[in-house]
Amino acid sequence: MTAAAVNDPVVVAPVVVALATAILALVVRSNGRLTKAVSLVGGVGYTLATAAVFTRVVVGASGPLPYYLSNWPAPYGITLVADGLSASMLGLSGVVTLPALVFAVVSVSPQGQRLSFHPLYHFMIAGVAGAFLTGDVFNLFVWFEVMLMASYVLVVFRSGPDETRAALSYVVLNLLGSAVMLVAIGGLYATTGTLNMAAMADRLANPAVYDVAVAPTLGLASLLLSVFALKAGLVPFHFWVPAAYDAAPAPVTAVLAGVVKKVGIYAVIRLFFTVFAAAEYAGGSALGFVGPLLLVAAIASTLYGGVAAVGREKLSEVLAFSSIAQIGFVVVPLGVAATAPGLPVPASAPGETLAAFGIAAALVYAFNHTLAKSLLFLVVGTLQDTVGSVEFDQLGGLARRAPVLAAAFLLGGLSLIGVPPLLGFFGKLLVFRVGVVAGAAGSGVAATLAWVGLAATVVGAVFTIAYVTRSWNAVFWGEPSTRVETALPKRWQTGGREPATAAAADGGQAVGARGLAVEAVVVATLVVALVGFGVGAEFVLDAAATAGEAATDTAGYVDAVLPPEGGVEGVPAESSGGEH
Amino acid sequence: MTQWLLAGVLGTLFALGTFLVLRRDVVRVVWGVAIVSQAANVYLVTMGGFIGAAPVGDFREATAPSDPLVQALVLTAIVIGFGTTALALVLTYRVYEEHGTIDTYELGGEGL
Repeated sequence: MTAAAVNDPVVVAPVVVALATAILALVVRSNGRLTKAVSLVGGVGYTLATAAVFTRVVVGASGPLPYYLSNWPAPYGITLVADGLSASMLGLSGVVTLPALVFAVVSVSPQGQRLSFHPLYHFMIAGVAGAFLTGDVFNLFVWFEVMLMASYVLVVFRSGPDETRAALSYVVLNLLGSAVMLVAIGGLYATTGTLNMAAMADRLANPAVYDVAVAPTLGLASLLLSVFALKAGLVPFHFWVPAAYDAAPAPVTAVLAGVVKKVGIYAVIRLFFTVFAAAEYAGGSALGFVGPLLLVAAIASTLYGGVAAVGREKLSEVLAFSSIAQIGFVVVPLGVAATAPGLPVPASAPGETLAAFGIAAALVYAFNHTLAKSLLFLVVGTLQDTVGSVEFDQLGGLARRAPVLAAAFLLGGLSLIGVPPLLGFFGKLLVFRVGVVAGAAGSGVAATLAWVGLAATVVGAVFTIAYVTRSWNAVFWGEPSTRVETALPKRWQTGGREPATAAAADGGQAVGARGLAVEAVVVATLVVALVGFGVGAEFVLDAAATAGEAATDTAGYVDAVLPPEGGVEGVPAESSGGEH
Repeated sequence: MTQWLLAGVLGTLFALGTFLVLRRDVVRVVWGVAIVSQAANVYLVTMGGFIGAAPVGDFREATAPSDPLVQALVLTAIVIGFGTTALALVLTYRVYEEHGTIDTYELGGEGL
């Protein structure tokens, strides 16, 4: 039982903190103030826990840290694994969940907060953290469900006509997705005989030793791919995105777009670049098969999301469609990298192979999208609370009345476009560079695909400029509209009383002047983060490079998780652990 | 023989579920989803193979115990499916309250 000695409690900390907070918030929910306090302390705790994992694994370069639940050794029990990729994704989630929570405390209606908001929020976070950490395919399904179950209720939280309809399609689509995922997992278990990701990678790499038929796993892997694409909102699985994002309260949308979507991206990277990449099929590798699929879906997302976002008349919808487009940008480098994973890249690029480089580019872009899009959705929430509308024809001239908000929106938008020194610049640069490297050094179909991907992202970037500019012009530029005049008769100063009363009179929520000040501070904090991570991009690039290397190092992952040759004595081979 | 029977049952269940999901009536859609989830559960159980002794007690003495893992998995999946189906039905009722209809065409035609 050497395995027991290496269990490091830091690995489970994010999940434990989020689950404990959710349960505690549920217990004390009759006391509104106490619930808020518990929730906020838990939110801080979660951010600290993710920072601890990140520091240990990425900054401290510890290699993959396994955590064997109940000390069951690797292939038999459920294993959690914090490697560079998991830790980076956890870090990404930790940066946004706390600001969004603080925003929610002032913006979600007091009744909603008393009812169930805080437990649900933390259950969702627990699901996210669990999905990032788990090293077991079925356990991944369970964490997906934990995350989704909470998000179903959060989407329908305001429960008006639009919300119920949006939630219904969101629930039905995801239930179907879950059923498909279950089928894929069952098939993988039947063919490989294990659910542990490391053991599965090991068996797929040495099919003769374990007597595994490799061919069926390719079809099962593509089933999984469609489920992950559904979670990530890639075209053609994007139908739920705009309605659900519009329906959820602003801070929840910020987390849905910023963090929950990235879980799908993470699952694609983990299962395809770490697990299935090890298998050799008759017609090539699994990556060679999914690469073009990912690329086509990503290109379609970029173009469709861009075109649709340009034509919307409501700020929240523009941002929702923009999310589809931006996820396309995240997946394009993954698709390009998957078509030629082993291609060597120039020394100046992060990573040694194109696969590692592509993942690094995707992660930097994903982090930028997380920060910028959460920021923009919170600006939408603040507009909702001050002016009471986010329709373009109702707004205008807000730059004069709410300069802080305008500046925040501008910076978030510029980061989406990719203007230096904001983080978005480095994201775009890396995404383009993956295309150039693969196109120039690759050969045949892979090179062509890389150039097509590059062209699509360039066109997508032009669309980004178009819809950000259009939103800016409609909402912040020009003369104040009648509605803005009534809501903000003079320049909004944090501490003034006007905005709150005006929005309340108009059917908006009575957030109060102090609440609005808090919202402005949260938005400003995210702006600082966006600029800070842009200026200190070296840090983000290094973390992404570590994550890329970790995700592509299948052998390192397997060695860290599985016990050394010979297995562990005293454990009956058939008694595997399942979660009940 | 059991394999063929189960394969047939699974195929029928998936087909029935898919058919119902494509109906206009939201309640039928929810039923369809429930059936597809149950079909996935049945599929999951069959993936462990079904010939063997009960994996209870000192099963190392038994010749070939059934795989208990899939049963543990399916238990989890059933509980999750139970919860989500209940939620989907409540949601259907709320949709009916808010819109006065559960016809997907009419719901979709209202906006978006």
